[in-house]
Amino acid sequence: MMRTVGRSVERRGAKDVVRGKALYADDIRVDGVIHLKVVRSIRSHAIVKEVDTSVAELIPGVVKVFTSKDIKGSNRYGIITKDQEILVERKVRYVGDPIALVAAETEAIAVEAARSVKVAYEDLVPFFTIEEAKGCTTEPIHEDGNLLSSRDIIKGDIDQGFAEADVVIEETYTTSMAAHGYLETETGIGTLDERGRIAIYVSTQNPHYDQDDVVAALGLRPHELRIVQATTGAGFGGKLDISVQGLIALAIQHLKRPVKLRYSMEETMQAAAKRHAMVMHYKTGARNDGRVTAVDVRLTLDTGAYASYGLAVLSRAAAHAVGPYEVPHVRVHGELYYTNRIWAGAMRGFGVPQVSFAHEGQMDSLAKALGIDPFEIRMINALKPGSTTATGQVLHASVGIGETLKRVKDAKERRERNPEKRHVKVRPWVKSGWGIASFWYGIGNTGLPNPSTAQIHVDEKGEITLYTGAADIGQGSDTVLLQIAAEALQVSDKDLKLIRGDTGLTTDAGATSASRQTYISGNAVKSAAENLIQKLAQEASSQLTVPLPEIGYESGEFKGGGKTVTMRELAKELHQKGQIPIGEGRFDPPITLLDKETGQGIPYATYTYGTYYAEVEVDTGTGEVSVEHVIAAADVGKAVNPANVAGQIIGGVAMGIGYALMEEFESGKTRSLTDYLYPTSMDVPPVEVIIVEDPEPSGPFGAKGVGEPALIPTAPAIINAINKALNTKILDLPAKLERVMKTVLKSPCSGGI
Amino acid sequence: MRDIKISFVINGEKMTVEIPPNISLLDLLRDHLGLTGTKKGCGIGECGACTVLINGKPVNACLVLAPQINGKDIQTIEGLGTETSLHPLQKAFVDKGVVQCGFCIPGMLMSLKALYNECPVVNQQEVKKAISGNLCRCTGYQQIVEAGESVSKKGRNKR
Repeated sequence: MMRTVGRSVERRGAKDVVRGKALYADDIRVDGVIHLKVVRSIRSHAIVKEVDTSVAELIPGVVKVFTSKDIKGSNRYGIITKDQEILVERKVRYVGDPIALVAAETEAIAVEAARSVKVAYEDLVPFFTIEEAKGCTTEPIHEDGNLLSSRDIIKGDIDQGFAEADVVIEETYTTSMAAHGYLETETGIGTLDERGRIAIYVSTQNPHYDQDDVVAALGLRPHELRIVQATTGAGFGGKLDISVQGLIALAIQHLKRPVKLRYSMEETMQAAAKRHAMVMHYKTGARNDGRVTAVDVRLTLDTGAYASYGLAVLSRAAAHAVGPYEVPHVRVHGELYYTNRIWAGAMRGFGVPQVSFAHEGQMDSLAKALGIDPFEIRMINALKPGSTTATGQVLHASVGIGETLKRVKDAKERRERNPEKRHVKVRPWVKSGWGIASFWYGIGNTGLPNPSTAQIHVDEKGEITLYTGAADIGQGSDTVLLQIAAEALQVSDKDLKLIRGDTGLTTDAGATSASRQTYISGNAVKSAAENLIQKLAQEASSQLTVPLPEIGYESGEFKGGGKTVTMRELAKELHQKGQIPIGEGRFDPPITLLDKETGQGIPYATYTYGTYYAEVEVDTGTGEVSVEHVIAAADVGKAVNPANVAGQIIGGVAMGIGYALMEEFESGKTRSLTDYLYPTSMDVPPVEVIIVEDPEPSGPFGAKGVGEPALIPTAPAIINAINKALNTKILDLPAKLERVMKTVLKSPCSGGI
Repeated sequence: MRDIKISFVINGEKMTVEIPPNISLLDLLRDHLGLTGTKKGCGIGECGACTVLINGKPVNACLVLAPQINGKDIQTIEGLGTETSLHPLQKAFVDKGVVQCGFCIPGMLMSLKALYNECPVVNQQEVKKAISGNLCRCTGYQQIVEAGESVSKKGRNKR
C-alpha cells in the first residue's frame, strides 16, 4: 500500500499562489533596475544595411543601445540547430526578428527610445508558403537552403499492403499555426549575485539548457551565468526556447547593473514560437474485416524563420503518424521547410495533435466505408502487448489503448441509458453528433538520449531536501517529484524541502517537455532516494555492528539485530564526521537511435494512450459548434497525483476545443489576445475523466506521463462528431464558423437551412 | 506631467499617494504600492489576470486610470484571507487541487469574491459566468468552477 503516490496531496506552493505571494519573474523587485526593450524587424526577409542608434541614445534616461556588434560570443543559439541570433547581424528573416536592444531607466523611456532606432533594410525575396520556399531561386532563408530536414519511416512493403486492402481512403488534411496562449509573457530579471555571477530569474522550461546556450552565444564562461527558474506562468512548449535570457545577460555583461525584460503580449504573439502548420496526405488501406493493411503518409511542416524544435516535431509526428494501431505496412515521409513566417517550435504534443487529426479522420472514414462501429474498428487495430509499432518496436507492457476504448464505450452507453442525459431541443436546424478519437504519445525525446539527474540531501538536523533541475511550469512536477521521493523514503511529502531549477544549485534534469518529467525525472528522483537509503544503511550497519544485508529500512528508521537507528541520528553522525549524506540518482530511458533511411528503432521507452469521446451540437444556420460533453480516458500507468492528472486532462480538453474550433494564428496578422481567441469558461463542457492505470514496469511506481497527451485526441474527437452530425468530412483545422458553414452548404444532407 | 494626490482605501487601509496622473491602477498597485499579487497579463483588458474590486465590483486594473480610484474602496488578492486564515474561496482552490501555473488565479478569486458580494448562494452557471472574463490556459476551468461553487454550498448550509 503506497502512502503518498496515488493520493491527491496538496500542490506545493498552492497556498502562495492563492494569496498572490508566488513570485513570478515580473514580481521580483530589485532596486535600480534597468528596463530593456527590443527593437524588432518590420520586414520579413531583408539585409540590415544600417542600424542608427544615435537619436535613441540622446534621449534622457537611455543607458545604452545594443546591437550585434556588442556581442562577444557566437551570437548563435537554438535547441537543435544553432540558427538563431541574440541580435541579428546580417539579415532579418521574419517580422519580429530582434535587431537592437535599448536599456533605459524606465520602461516608458525604453519603449520610446526603441521607436527612435532607425533601421535601413534592403529587401530580399520573401517566402511565405512552403511552395514558395520549395521553388526558391534567390537567396534562401538560411545558407543551406529552405529544406531544413526530412524523415522517413518504412516498415514492411507498402505496395503489398495496398494489394491486400479491400478499401483505400485517401485524403489531405491541414492544420493551422496555433499560439500557446500562456498569460505570463516571457519575463526575466537579472543581477550580479554575491559571487559576481550574472544571475537571471526567468520564466523558463529548461534552465540548464538556457545556461549552456547563453554562455556560448555571449562568450561567457559557464560559472559566470546562473539561471534560476522563477515561478512560471505556464509554457506548453513556448518557453523551451531562449527568449529574454540572452538579452538580459548581454545587458548585465556590459552594464553591471540589474536589468529586467518583460515581453508585451504582442511580443509574445509576434516573437515567440508557434505550433507548426502541417499538410498531411494520408492513404490508408484496410480489409473488409476492418484490419488496416497499409498506411502511406506524406507530411509537410512549415517551421517558419528558425528551426527551434522543428526537427523534434518532424520526427515525433512521423513516429506517431499511424496512430495507436498495429499496421503491417507503413511508409511515412516528412519534410520540414523554412519560410519567412514566424518560427514554429514546440507546443504541447510536438506534432502529434496534428497527425492525430489525420489518422483519426482516416479511422472514421474507414469505419464508415466498411460499415463498422468507430469503437470496433479502433479495437480491431489497437496496439497491445506483443504488437510491433511502425518503427519496429515490440511493445511489452503498459499498452492501455484497448482499455481506454472499452471504458469510454461503457461510459458512453451509461450516459445514453440515463434518461436525464439531455433535454430534447426543438431546434431542427441544430444537428447533434458524437465522435471518438484515440491517441498514443511516446514519453521523452524521440530516439535520443535524454537523461535526468537528482539528489537528495539530509542535513545535520535530519531535514531532507530534494534537488532537481526540473522546471515546474504549472504542470505539477514539484509536487509529483516530492511524492515520488517521499514514497521511496517512506516519509510524508510535507516533510521534504525542495530546491528546483537553479543552475547554481541543481544538476540538469533536461527540459520540461515531451511529458518526460514524471517518468524520467521521477525515476532519477526515485533512484536518488534508493541511493540515499543504501548509503545510510551502510552507516547504520557500522553503527549497529550488524552486517549490511541484515539492515532493514522502514519509515525513516534503520533496523537490524534488534536495534534501531533513525535517519536523523545517522545524518547527524555523518555530518559530524564531515560527510554529507547525499543520495544521487540518474535515469536515461532505454531507447535506440532511429535508422536514418527507415526510421526503425526504439524511439521511446514507453507510451501514454487514450481515447476521448465528444458530443457536439452544430447550428447549421451559423456554423457555430457547441461541445456538449466530453469523456476522456487516458492510460497514464499510475496517477501519482490523481487530481493533478485530472487537471491536466480537463485543461487539455479546453485547449483541444480551441484547436478544433477557434484557434488560427496568422503570421503577420494575429497581434494579441484580442484577435487570438481561445476558450473561456463559457466554452467548455463537462469533462468526465477516466484514469486508466496499466502500470509501466520501468516507470516510477508504474507512472508514465500525461501533460501533452491530455490535449491530443480532443480536436479529432470533436471533428469526428461534427462529421457525424453533418454527414460530412472536415479536412482543415480549425473548424471555424466559416469552414463549418462551407461544409453545411456543400453537403445536401447536412440539414442546412 | 505633474504628480497628483489621490486618497483611497485599499484592503481596508486608508492611503494617500502622489502619483503621475497617467498610470493605470495596475501599475499603481504593482509598481508603486508593491502589491504584486495582481498579475499583469495582456495589459489591454483581454485576459482578466489583473482583476481587482472597486467598491466591491470587479474591474480589469489595467484599464482603470489610477486617479479614477480617488475616494474609492479597492480590494486586491492581498486583502483576501491571511496566511493563517485563508478565505473560503482560497481554501477551496487549495483543497480541490485547482492551481496549475497559477497566473490567472488571483484574478479568478477576485471575480468570484465579487460574485459572492452580490449573491451568497450561487450555482455552477453563475460561477462560470462570473469568471468568463478571466482566461485560463491550464485548467479548463472545471475544477475552478467546482471549487467556486463549493463555497456556496457551505453558505447554504449555514443559512
